[in-house]
Amino acid sequence: MSGAGTAIVTGAAGGLGGRIGERLAEAGHDLVLVDLDPAVEEVAAAAGAGAVVADLTKADGVDAVLDAAGDDVAVLVNNAGITRDARAVKMSEADFAAVIEVNLVAAMRLTLALEPRYRDGAAVVNMSSRASLGNFGQANYSASKSGLVGFGRALAQRWAPRVRVNAVAPSLVDTPMTQAMPPEVLAKMVARIPAGRIGTPDDVAGIVAFLASPEAGYVTGQVLFACGGRSVAP
Amino acid sequence: MSAERGSGEVLVLRPGPVGDDLDAVTPALTGAFAAAREALEAGRPVAVVLDAGDLLGQGSPLDAAVATGLVGMVRTLGIEGAKPGWRVNVVAGGEGDEAAVEETVAMLAGSSLTGQLLTVGGANLGKVVP
Repeated sequence: MSGAGTAIVTGAAGGLGGRIGERLAEAGHDLVLVDLDPAVEEVAAAAGAGAVVADLTKADGVDAVLDAAGDDVAVLVNNAGITRDARAVKMSEADFAAVIEVNLVAAMRLTLALEPRYRDGAAVVNMSSRASLGNFGQANYSASKSGLVGFGRALAQRWAPRVRVNAVAPSLVDTPMTQAMPPEVLAKMVARIPAGRIGTPDDVAGIVAFLASPEAGYVTGQVLFACGGRSVAP
Repeated sequence: MSAERGSGEVLVLRPGPVGDDLDAVTPALTGAFAAAREALEAGRPVAVVLDAGDLLGQGSPLDAAVATGLVGMVRTLGIEGAKPGWRVNVVAGGEGDEAAVEETVAMLAGSSLTGQLLTVGGANLGKVVP
């Protein structure tokens, strides 16, 4: 067990979650990587980390993380998320609910279940999104990602000074999810980002690592937009 | 979630408190989405009425999640509804602001505002607005 305590990252089989895990390992944390996708086991093996294959929308999935987490949790990164995009007029209630359940409720369930396990000075980092401010075709995703912001604001106040709770709000990030988009669609979206490029997993993982670190020890209840300026551009 | 006919034909949506019931969050948000969409497609304005303190997370974490979640949803509906002319907004107020909230909801019946968070009273002044 390391002096830096355990860091738990959900959605860790993906490009962003994996990179976040690496950054937290560099900071000295013991890693527990969680994903519904069994590919998380390979990611964890490569990183010398523990892996949990779990569905966090189910109570037994949360129990599996609790079993692996130990009682010295220093960092929780709620990174797991899905999209089910459609214009509101075409969006099924099932697709709306599914995104809320995975992106918001599952994250809240795990965060709350870990309450007795956090060490003094622990940090929760929620993966919000620039889309939390509104995004065409994403009524469900916007609601889930803005919901995480409110949840974090409340917990930040309730759990202070023992545990800090913050959020990171990226725009497009270069992961298999965005690589699967039609190139012309992606190019149009990137054109709206003042930084002139898509975000890299590193761009976001560095912010997560910062918010999880003692350097951000006086920051709680906040959202940091790591979106290349997209949140202020036309 | 309670829905009522407010002033004019404004559909007023007020999320009921979910307290610490995780299982109530998805139905609260999904129900609001369905009710808002139905009204907007019928040409009615929608006002989601929230507690200003919940937007800042000053109460239950799950109520804060529902409140801020609804703000995100309203903003997206405001973006998507620009062409068909949907009018969907959030009205937030704190304790003692009830009359001002009602007045603002009534004003929305005849307004072209959409996608906005209208906070009445001073509860959010000097704070980070979502």
